[in-house]
Amino acid sequence: MSEPMHGMQGRRTLVEEGTSFKGSLSSTCPVEVKGRVEGDVTAPALSVSASGSVHGKVKVGEMQSHGELAGEFDADVVQLSGSVKDRTIIRAKSLEVKLSPAEGKMQVVFGECQLEVGSEAARSELAARSAEALVRSNEKAAKGSSVPPEQVAKAPSTAPEPPKASVRPPTDANGA
Amino acid sequence: MPELTADLVLKKIKIGEKVDRADLRGLVLTRAVLEGASFRRCDLDGANLEGARLSKALFKNASLREAFLAGADLREANLESADLEGANLLGAKLVGANLNRANLEGANLQGADLSGARLTHAQLESATLGGARLVRAELAHADLSETDLSTAKLDEADLTSTDLSGANLEEASLARAQLRDAVLRGATLIRADLSGADLRRANLTGARLEGALFTGARVRSLVGTGAPVVGIRAEWVDDSEDASRAVRVTGPQIAALLSGMTPSSPSHKRYFGRGDVLRNAHLEFDTGAAVEIESLFEHCTIALGEGTELVVGRGGVLSGCQIQGAGRVTIHGKFVEREGPGIVGATQLVVSSEGFLVGAIEQAQDLTRFAFEPGCYLRVQILQAKKERTTKSGRQS
Repeated sequence: MSEPMHGMQGRRTLVEEGTSFKGSLSSTCPVEVKGRVEGDVTAPALSVSASGSVHGKVKVGEMQSHGELAGEFDADVVQLSGSVKDRTIIRAKSLEVKLSPAEGKMQVVFGECQLEVGSEAARSELAARSAEALVRSNEKAAKGSSVPPEQVAKAPSTAPEPPKASVRPPTDANGA
Repeated sequence: MPELTADLVLKKIKIGEKVDRADLRGLVLTRAVLEGASFRRCDLDGANLEGARLSKALFKNASLREAFLAGADLREANLESADLEGANLLGAKLVGANLNRANLEGANLQGADLSGARLTHAQLESATLGGARLVRAELAHADLSETDLSTAKLDEADLTSTDLSGANLEEASLARAQLRDAVLRGATLIRADLSGADLRRANLTGARLEGALFTGARVRSLVGTGAPVVGIRAEWVDDSEDASRAVRVTGPQIAALLSGMTPSSPSHKRYFGRGDVLRNAHLEFDTGAAVEIESLFEHCTIALGEGTELVVGRGGVLSGCQIQGAGRVTIHGKFVEREGPGIVGATQLVVSSEGFLVGAIEQAQDLTRFAFEPGCYLRVQILQAKKERTTKSGRQS
């Protein structure tokens, strides 16, 4: 149901189902993998279908995968389903994994892998926003105005009584 | 070989003769003028009728499997009980057409105009209707399971008792549509417009509703998604039995109604507000509890019972903490743990577009369901469940 990525429209390099490719693949047009690729791939976009698998080092602008990934993947934008094997690293500026229904099939089956998502700029922005939120919350706490929303009970009986308004510097708290 | 040639068909129609029950398989009649012609019970499988003018034509019980009807003008045509399986109707004009009990399984209706068309009991499983116009169309009891209806216009359409299981209705417009008793199990309704829609007794189990608009929707006795609903847009919804707007529900109760997870007792909810700081605490939450954190937690351990919902709100920061147990975790704020696994055994982990997650995640025994929204920040190591890892390493050695 997912839409094709922008870069996958028009001419493309196709590794058809039943085809196995070993080696280095460098293309100036998008690559679509329905078969098996073992090796390095460099292209503006990569699409891996449910029957496809890519094992190796990949550097692309956009990547959409419904198949099997293993190795090291660098991309700007990633849409992911299918499976990610052990010892895989995915680096991206943006990653999307949709939530599958509780009783349905898994959207992505992750092996032991590593995800590095988001640019440094996004990280700084998030950190700044979080710091701002903390400053605001400290101000509220100082005024004693920390009030839970309507119809929501306050902290549980199991929870220790929170200390009032002592917060370490925002930058540390943000983990920045 | 078809029984009649294209020329013969055109001649017959010109003099007002019917071509009912003829074998016209694979016939090429592109852009032909066939208005009001009668093709009852004809076999037109694989025929090419691209751009043909077929308004008010009669195709009752005809077979048009895999026929090419892109751009055809079929306004007010009668296609009742016709077999259009796999037909290509891309951009076709079907305004006011009769498609009752027609078979459109797997058909391509992208961008087609079906405004006011009748499709009751029609079979549309896995059909593609992206961007189609179905305003005021009659689709009661139709099978629309697994269809692509993304960005389709279904305003005021009658979808009573339709099967929309697994359908993609992303950004579809369903304003004031009738969806009573409809089955929307596992459907995608992301950013769909359901304002004023009648959803009474509809089944939304497993449906995705992020960004959907529900203002004025009638929701009495609907079956909720079964999971927490976040990011919906609604000023109010109508929970009255007779859709009289007498019972208006507002605020967070709307999400609870749509999720069907209204807790029996408010004691199941836990909220940690902004400005609160918890350090070195151990917190345990029972099965079924809903926990929301907008505070700063440092070096805390949070144990979740089965099915417990933990939401780290936009203002929430969990630093050096560990979340354990078979709960569902949603992160809109920040979670940073650099020492050991920060999240252990969660059945579901969602990081929203504003979420920030740094640390290791040890999956549940039956694997964790992940969802990551574009815009989130992740420095994450995903690990298998401990038992799984031990078995694996044992096997390797």
